[in-house]
Amino acid sequence: MSLRSSALQPPFARPPSTVAIRRASDYQADLTGLISETLCQLGVAVRGKSVLLKPNFVEPDPDGVINTHPAVVSAARESFLLLGAREVKVGEGPGHERDTEAILETIRLRDYLGPLSGVFVDLNLDDVAPIALVTHASSLRELYFPKTVLSADFVVSMPKLKTHHWVGATLSLKNMFGIVPGSCYGWPKNALHWAGITQAILDINATVRPDFAIVDGIVGMEGNGPIQGAAKPCGILVMGDDPVAVDATCARVMGLVPERIDYLKKAGGLLGHLSADKIRQLGESVASVRTPFAVLDAFRGLRDKQHGLAAHAATGFSKLNGLNSDGNP
Amino acid sequence: MDGPRDSLGYTAACAVSAQGFAEARCLPLLLSSQNADGGWGYSARARSGTEVTSWALMTLHSVREASCDEAALRGLRWLCQAQLPDGSWPAYVGQSTGCWATSLACLALHLQAQSPAAVARGLAWLVKSWPSEGSLWWQLRTRLLGDSSVVRQDSSLRGWGWTPGAASWVEPTSYALIVLHCVAGESRPADADERVRLAEAMLDDRMCPGGGWNSGNPRVYGVAGVPRVGPTVWALLALRHVDANTRRQSSLDWLEGEYPKAGGAGSLSLAHLCLQAYGRPVPPLEPALWALYERNQFLGNLLAFCWAAIALSGKPIFLALGEAKGVGP
Repeated sequence: MSLRSSALQPPFARPPSTVAIRRASDYQADLTGLISETLCQLGVAVRGKSVLLKPNFVEPDPDGVINTHPAVVSAARESFLLLGAREVKVGEGPGHERDTEAILETIRLRDYLGPLSGVFVDLNLDDVAPIALVTHASSLRELYFPKTVLSADFVVSMPKLKTHHWVGATLSLKNMFGIVPGSCYGWPKNALHWAGITQAILDINATVRPDFAIVDGIVGMEGNGPIQGAAKPCGILVMGDDPVAVDATCARVMGLVPERIDYLKKAGGLLGHLSADKIRQLGESVASVRTPFAVLDAFRGLRDKQHGLAAHAATGFSKLNGLNSDGNP
Repeated sequence: MDGPRDSLGYTAACAVSAQGFAEARCLPLLLSSQNADGGWGYSARARSGTEVTSWALMTLHSVREASCDEAALRGLRWLCQAQLPDGSWPAYVGQSTGCWATSLACLALHLQAQSPAAVARGLAWLVKSWPSEGSLWWQLRTRLLGDSSVVRQDSSLRGWGWTPGAASWVEPTSYALIVLHCVAGESRPADADERVRLAEAMLDDRMCPGGGWNSGNPRVYGVAGVPRVGPTVWALLALRHVDANTRRQSSLDWLEGEYPKAGGAGSLSLAHLCLQAYGRPVPPLEPALWALYERNQFLGNLLAFCWAAIALSGKPIFLALGEAKGVGP
């Protein structure tokens, strides 16, 4: 796939990015303390602003493997409120399941957030407005976006740390697919696939620039993600104000080379920093939390063999169900 | 005194009234949510859209109360005005291309015996609207790049997509089949039969291995897809004129097992409606709807209220023609 380079102007310009990796052993940990402390360290300023949290809620999944865990969403909401945000809403437009209420009930979001009315917005059914895309990486010239997203002062992408059977890994950039309204594009939002997944990811993120990313890597998903993979406990939250740098850091933690993930590589020239030497780590180092993820054979080429094999030996990985976790030749 | 009100403005006292759920909640909300332009949005005060307006009209027709007549008339006027010159309907007025909602608009107009010319033009567009897979370009690309082993399905069997230029999916294919089964006579395009035959075969091909349907990928990377309530309901309703087979029987069995677990009002109502249409015994819907309403007010989703009212009416008018074939309990 080639991008129309002339369509990607202007290139981004920003100083080196900071990405925080925090350990959290499970969802009962003090996640609010962890997130609010990190937001302060990173100098996040949201006083008086409206904040929209965009988690990754895909399907009903009582096991907590597919979706961003509601404990993380709730902790993020509390943290932004503690920082003085005027309001903090949670919005998602699931890609396959039309019954968003069924997803929220299964993951018990209400138990964590309280009454959902006025807090949660189904982005699939929100009012929409047409927006000309800032870049033309895909064949799309405009997309309809939910007004809740367009009117938010501060958008936070909150994905789950997962492999993905079409693009290798789904992190904060890919998570933004969920803001595209099903009411206009259907379930799934297949028009984006036909326009090119990589290209659509770039166009969406270049147009609706997420201000911050918080990745739920406490329990991730490896193998045939984003729905049918296996649980992968990693015990981390990854946060930062450069979603490309956050995703690159996550990929490295997963034992993948971010420069080999097509959309991340291209986002590195357009939206944020990809190179490790342009990313300052806060908290844990990548090496200390690296946890190689099993990937489908089609994505073996994404694996960082140099680092992955060492970790593989340490964790006793084995090949499972046609998935490749060990960088076989 | 009325006491505290829920997020949709109703008092708790109403909940214990002798009225049924449809009369106490669905109809008042529907009538009070109609926009000044005559259409309905996905939630109260939201912009009018084709899908919701079509379902609102079918709901009003199902309950057949005289108080609804004026609202229905205004809704029909909105729907007719929203039709594009090529005969299709967009998701929202202002969009220049038609979409899956065309099937629902035709269905709503046809069932109210309104605007046969508009219905005929809509169906003509529908029958000429082909999905992108299986096209000449697609065949050439597949030949050059090799057959994908990611999804195993027969792409020569084509139904309908959510939007033009995308692939066939279960729900839009089912909507189109339902309306094409309902409409006879001059409004039905001459070449509809071949599309119906192909689409019915496509739905059979896309059934998940253990029964039921998801959005349209029954198997990805060799792993069986997980069925979902919504697509399963629509596919079963679309295929109910076709002779039953054991796989369809297993889909009904699956749906019957899911019904008590449905976490959302939309899924619950649709499952009830479908099981009833196939003559399966089904527990009362009303208590479960009240319980869900008390928790989340259906997230304010007007579509869920419509489906609840239609299911409670016991008169799913869009299934008025013919009985399901040979798949009883």
